[in-house]
Order: sequence, then C-alpha cells, then structure tokens
Amino acid sequence: MANVDNARPAERDPPLTAPATLQTLRSWLSAGSGRGIMLSVTSLAIAFAIWQLLSTFVFNPFLIPPPVEVIRAAIPMLASGEIFSDIGISMVRVLVGFLTGSLAGIVLGALLGRIRLLHDLLDPIIELLRYLSPTAMIPIAVIWFGIGEMSKYFLIFWGTFFIVLVNTTAGVWRAPVARQRAAECLGANRLQIFLLVVVPSAVPYIITGMRVAMASSFMSIIPAEILAADSGIGYLLQKSSLLLQTNRIFVALLTICILGFVVDRLFRFFVDRVLARYMSQVGTT
Amino acid sequence: MRVANLRKTYDTAHASYVALEGVDVEIGAGEFFCLLGPSGCGKSTLLNILAGFEPATSGSVTSGGAAITRAGRERVMFFQDAGSALFPWLTVEENVRFGLRVRKVPRPAWDDIIDKYLRMVDLDRHRSKFPAQLSGGMRQRLQIARALAVEPEVLLMDEPFGALDALTRRRMHAVLLSIWQRTGKTVVFVTHDIAEAVLLADRIAMMSVGPGSTITKVFEVALPRPRDLTHASVAGLFHEIEALLDPSVPRTDERAPLAAG
Repeated sequence: MANVDNARPAERDPPLTAPATLQTLRSWLSAGSGRGIMLSVTSLAIAFAIWQLLSTFVFNPFLIPPPVEVIRAAIPMLASGEIFSDIGISMVRVLVGFLTGSLAGIVLGALLGRIRLLHDLLDPIIELLRYLSPTAMIPIAVIWFGIGEMSKYFLIFWGTFFIVLVNTTAGVWRAPVARQRAAECLGANRLQIFLLVVVPSAVPYIITGMRVAMASSFMSIIPAEILAADSGIGYLLQKSSLLLQTNRIFVALLTICILGFVVDRLFRFFVDRVLARYMSQVGTT
Repeated sequence: MRVANLRKTYDTAHASYVALEGVDVEIGAGEFFCLLGPSGCGKSTLLNILAGFEPATSGSVTSGGAAITRAGRERVMFFQDAGSALFPWLTVEENVRFGLRVRKVPRPAWDDIIDKYLRMVDLDRHRSKFPAQLSGGMRQRLQIARALAVEPEVLLMDEPFGALDALTRRRMHAVLLSIWQRTGKTVVFVTHDIAEAVLLADRIAMMSVGPGSTITKVFEVALPRPRDLTHASVAGLFHEIEALLDPSVPRTDERAPLAAG
C-alpha cells in the first residue's frame, strides 16, 4: 500500500524563530565571518609583503612598482581628486548602461518567457547576437556614437541587456504552474497572474542575471575607455601607459579591483535589504 | 457538480493518449468525495478538469448546471507542494490577503476575514512569518486558510497531505474534517492512499489504471466520524478496497516464501 512517509520532522509546536537547521547554519556563518575577515586581511597582508619583496629584490621596480611606490603615486591623485573624477565618470557610464540594459532585459525577457510566439521569433536572433561581446562592438559603437558618453552607455547596455534578458526569460518560464493556478483560483486575471505571481517568482533569476551583468559591465567599461574615450579609469590606464607611468597604471588597476568589489557588495546589500522576501523562494521551488 | 461521459486525450506529435474515457459522476453539495487510484490513473487530470485548468476533450462537466470552462471563483484548488503553491515573498497574512485583493473584496472587510480564517487553521500567531519559516503542516494549513478566505463552494484537493509525515498528516485530517463540518463546503479529495480515503470520505470513487481510466466503483461510506482504522468496519472497508485496487498482490496468507536471489 502506498503510504509515503517522508523523513520530515513531525509538526511540533511551531518554532518562534527560523527552523533549527537555519539557526545552526547562521551561527556557523557568523562565527565563520569573523574568522573569514581575519583570514582575508592576513592573506592580503602576505600578498602585499611578497609583492614588495619581489619588486624590490627580484623584478625591475620600474616594470612592477612596489606597493610603497604605488601608494606614493596614489596620494597626489587622491589629493587632487583626479582619481575620483575618473571613478565618477566610469561609474556613471556603468550605471546608466547597466540600469537601462537591465530594465530593457527584464521587460523583454518577461515577455519572451510568457509569449511563446515572441520567444520563438526572437530567440534565434538573440542566440546569435549574445555572442557579440561589448568589446567586439567597440569599433562600430565609435562610428555610430562617437567617443562621447553615448558610445559607452551603448556598450554597457549591450553587455547587460542579453545577460539579464536570458536570465529573466528562464525565470519567468520556470514560475511554478501550481502557483499560477492557485492565483487563478483565487480570482486573479491573466495580467494579475503575470505581474503579481510570475514576475515576482522570477526575481531570483533576474537578480542573478543582474549580478553577472554588473561584473561584466566592469570588465567591458575598461576596454571601451581605453579605445574610445578621453576620460574615465580606462583612459587613465591608456594615458599612463603612453607616458610609461607604471605606478599610475597600478593605481588604476587597484582602483578597478576595489571598485568592483565595493559595487558588488553594495548590490548584495541592496538585494538583502529590499528584495530579501523575493529571494527566499530559491529553496522552496 | 456533474461529469457526464467525459473523455480526455493528450495529443503529442506521434500519438494520441487517452487519459480518461467515459467518466460519469455526480458530486453533491457539501459532500466529501474522494477520488482514489494508483499513480497515473488520471485522477489529477480529472481534478484539473473540474477546476477548469484543462478542457475536456468531449463530454460535459458542469457545476450547478453551468459548464466549467475556466477556473471559477467557486472552486479553489489545493496543491500538494505548498512550497510552490504559496507566494513565498508574501507573509502568512499577505498570502491570505492576495485573494481578497484580486477579488476586490472591500478593504474594510479584509482584517476580519483574515483573522477568522487564520484562527480557524491556528496560524493567527504566525501572521507575519514567511512560508519558508513554516513547517510542512503549517504551510498546508495556510493553503487552506487562503482558499477558504475567498469563500469558495468547492475545495479541490490534489493529494494535499502526500508529502507530510504520518503524524502531521493525521493532524491535518482532523483539521480538514473539522473545517469541512463547520463550513459545509464540498470537498473533492484526490489520493492514492486507501487509509486516507476510508478515514475521510462520504463516498470513494475508485479509478482504474490508464490509458482510458474511468471510475470503476463508488463506495458509500456511511460510517460515523472520527473514524479509526483499527475499528472492524473501517478496516473491513479498507481491505475490500485494497483487494479491488490491486488484485495482482496476493493476500498475505497466500504469499509464497521469498526465493533466494
């Protein structure tokens, strides 16, 4: 006889906080994060020490300037605000392209995930176009939009759009049928099901797409600015290279590392704060 | 609700599969009706047709005389996988409110309705939790509250307690029976568990294995509730159904000893 008894815990008096397994995981993580930070700091300190030693005693300090030199070069750039204006310019470009690209990707992706005919019509085109990386599009973007802001917006948009689009489509496509039917029974019409059930169900996919797109935006803004700009971090790299200022190149490279890290953390913080309720479903669906 | 000469086929590129064939059944208002059968017998398909999610290929399916062509407001479906059926980004309270909002129930009435049904399923102390923070049984109770809040006439339940452990399932049976007795809703309950059917139903419709499944026999269960499986009359019905449902399995006393290998 079919008597499916899963090995789930019996329903006891409901816990007031999260389930026990979650709590253990959380305490393990928070204990680990203190340790994690210490280890990260140690690892960075060791890396800087090795870098300092190697560039002083082994390599040509002109080619690989030691950290002390890099910091010395960074101080006037920080003091004059030069580096901040470059950061600002690059960030605005990334942000404009990323936000417009995400918005367009979400809207079109949601429609593609919902309307079969549209999907079948556009999918072949998308499948081909998404292999054109933003870097590959730089030459034509310069011809179309010049070396002004528009070409950078376009390139970041281009890189973001396809990633977010593909993820959104997948998320909308996978919205659980039971959930949509439940909403239908409760009296939701087709538009309500789409907006209030299907799109929220796709949020974890959309956010994953946006995080990947954010990382790729950071990677594509640099070549775009190197090849076609007169400002920004990429231009700083290019200019310093022409002037053989390796210490300034290293300042720019470090800036990119820190910027990418900070922006990703900010993005995660925003997601945890604002979208947390939409993210919890990953485990339950 | 009335089903007459229902036929349901699924067409694929290569073949046509007859899922249901010649199903006739009438379900009375306020009745607790069980559809019982092994996996793949089309009982969920029948339930989906009753819900209006899928059209019948031929035959008629009516509710109160009107044909069922789409999901109707008076019939609410209840799913086994509460994790995917609930709205995980809404709290307990907001899950119940969803139906009131989309049905345009006047806003001032919301709080009372939500209170009433959350209290009925004993979830009123957990109203600001999210589904992920609830146990399996609590999630199913939330599904019941969410369904009842829109005041349907019929609850369609698709193996709702199949994923719960035995103890929780027994509690859920008690919860469901008490709600059914208090509210007088019609319940159509799909299960493959004979014990569950025998414990709960007014009538049990047995379905044959597909293709071309149909209802082979309907048992009237005129036993008083709460029922106890160890009680002779309940156990008797259980064995009668078990023998019919799976005649290929010999009775315990006829089984041959296991051969080595």
